[in-house]
Amino acid sequence: MDSDAKKMLRRLITAVAGISIVVVLGAAVLGTGSDAGTVLSIFSTRFLGIFIEAVPFLLLGTLVSGLIDSFISADDIARWVPRNPILATFVGTFMGFTFPVCECGVVPVVRRLFTKGLPMSVGVTFLLAAPVINPIVLVGTYVAFGVGPVLIGRFVLTAVVAMIVGLVFAFAGRPQEVLQAGSLMPVMGGDGTRAYDPHEVIPLYAKTKRKPLLIGLRDALKMAGDEFFEMGRYLIIGTLLAATMQTLVSQEVLLALGRGPVVSVITMQLLAFVLSVCSTVDAFLALAFAGTFTTGSILAFLVFGPMVDIKSTLMFLGVFKRRIVIYLIALPFLLTLLFGIWLNLNVTF
Amino acid sequence: MPPAITGAIYHAPPDTRQLFNERLQGQPMQATHSHHHDPDHAKHDLHNHTRDRVMLWLKAALLLGMGAYFVYIIVTGNLTNYINVRFTWLSYVAAAIFLLLGVCSVFVAMRATDDDFHHDHDGHDHSHSGLSWGVLAIVSVPLILGTLIPSRPLGATAISGNLSTSAALGSLSTFTVNPLDRNVLDWLRYFGTLEDYADANDERADVIGFVYREPSFPENQFMLARFTLSCCVADASALGLPVYWENAPDLEQDQWVRVQGSFRVGEFRGDTLPILHAQDIALIEQPEHPYLYP
Repeated sequence: MDSDAKKMLRRLITAVAGISIVVVLGAAVLGTGSDAGTVLSIFSTRFLGIFIEAVPFLLLGTLVSGLIDSFISADDIARWVPRNPILATFVGTFMGFTFPVCECGVVPVVRRLFTKGLPMSVGVTFLLAAPVINPIVLVGTYVAFGVGPVLIGRFVLTAVVAMIVGLVFAFAGRPQEVLQAGSLMPVMGGDGTRAYDPHEVIPLYAKTKRKPLLIGLRDALKMAGDEFFEMGRYLIIGTLLAATMQTLVSQEVLLALGRGPVVSVITMQLLAFVLSVCSTVDAFLALAFAGTFTTGSILAFLVFGPMVDIKSTLMFLGVFKRRIVIYLIALPFLLTLLFGIWLNLNVTF
Repeated sequence: MPPAITGAIYHAPPDTRQLFNERLQGQPMQATHSHHHDPDHAKHDLHNHTRDRVMLWLKAALLLGMGAYFVYIIVTGNLTNYINVRFTWLSYVAAAIFLLLGVCSVFVAMRATDDDFHHDHDGHDHSHSGLSWGVLAIVSVPLILGTLIPSRPLGATAISGNLSTSAALGSLSTFTVNPLDRNVLDWLRYFGTLEDYADANDERADVIGFVYREPSFPENQFMLARFTLSCCVADASALGLPVYWENAPDLEQDQWVRVQGSFRVGEFRGDTLPILHAQDIALIEQPEHPYLYP
């Protein structure tokens, strides 16, 4: 595809996205029977609520991402991460304790690690596990549910699902087939938009010299600014969608959908996907459903939501190839569904 | 000029077009160069450098604007319309980081030379600093909504039927709040601990909330409603105490009121619930913290 056609396509998609947002908002206004000003005010409050809550995590994530880029070399990672794909997958699952990021923050970190040559299985496992398996979420889930099936189940299931998906990627994908060119190491055929620059970036296959502290910090800040715009737009589009859904779809309708052992799990997974609530706080939201929904579905919500939701899907599209994004959604969805249904049918909580 | 500064713009994130990038991985550097042979190249570049410069400044302005917006909502207290006060510190962090990144971007924009943009073409197609008008427009959406639409907490209109008359105890194991200090949430939690709602008869209450009424409600009844939220308005849910008050029709929807009275078990919307029989209702201003935090 030549560059003009791409430009046209991009404009077309932007226009379609813009028009559909306006149409959906219009439908929201007509649907509620309230005046446009009130609906817009509610929409704005909901949008800003999610944005204001999520953006500090995004910023912290981009800062961590920038710092990793400045101070962590490919050599360091090569030292930390075992070459054995199974061991590497295990390490990826628990790396969240060294990089505490939620699902908005994890994507830039993972992309940065990929450009540094991190093995595929570690990156994918980290991507799926880190939003849950980190100290902040551990504390949050404990406060909401105490020590019990939900807390333990959430962490065990997340680790298991993340490891399974990580292993699939370890054995079934070359980075070139999985990642967007911009997320690849230059030696693997990255298109250079990210890491390759003859004047500044030392090729990663060479011995990397650590940057001096101040220059490293300055570069990290510049990187974080760029990352904010890149990831911020996905966050904002996702938040616009989530706020629109919240203004349109009544919770009662969603609640009526989920009582059965199967339907409730699917419902909670879709709800997790649509609501896009940050993993650090979704436990408190799940608490509201704990009385009416099956425990398996609550767990599915807490395991699947941090892995995949509207905003992280939009972010995945910036890192992975589209075909791979489908796997990244489908595999965790099906595994979580399976575990959720199995728990509902076989375990009495 | 220090080389690292020059490097700023090369660190461009890939553009949106990468979402649609069908380029073969084996030849990453070739497809991007075609425009170098464009006869209009020089003119093209000149145009784009002005564009890039404007974008860099807009980027800096947006980051500083975000920082200023966060400072604004913190100072005015509007922040409590959006998130749980427990997470206020996160917004302080956000304000600080935005301002830091904004100042940094100002330096980048000031020091950017034409040379940077020229160089940019070598490896970058037209992605430049990864910015496009579309991205800038999207990122400005929060600022536009935040500044143009008056900040208001969720109210009666946002309930649209989703109002609960029960509440889980949550992380509390015992219930110890003094009856006259209980808010709507405390009362509902307290009712949840009772084996028989009749035990709540004649308990005195002094609570605030906003008026919520549906057309199906009896004329002399309304709900004294509050929103509870754990994190932010995304997980807000409405709670309400049914109130009986002879002059209820005089109260406007969404009006904040302070209700003093006592409970008596009765029928409300077909459910048997403790109903607050009001002895006195005072109109009040919206409280500083419009939401309750479970």
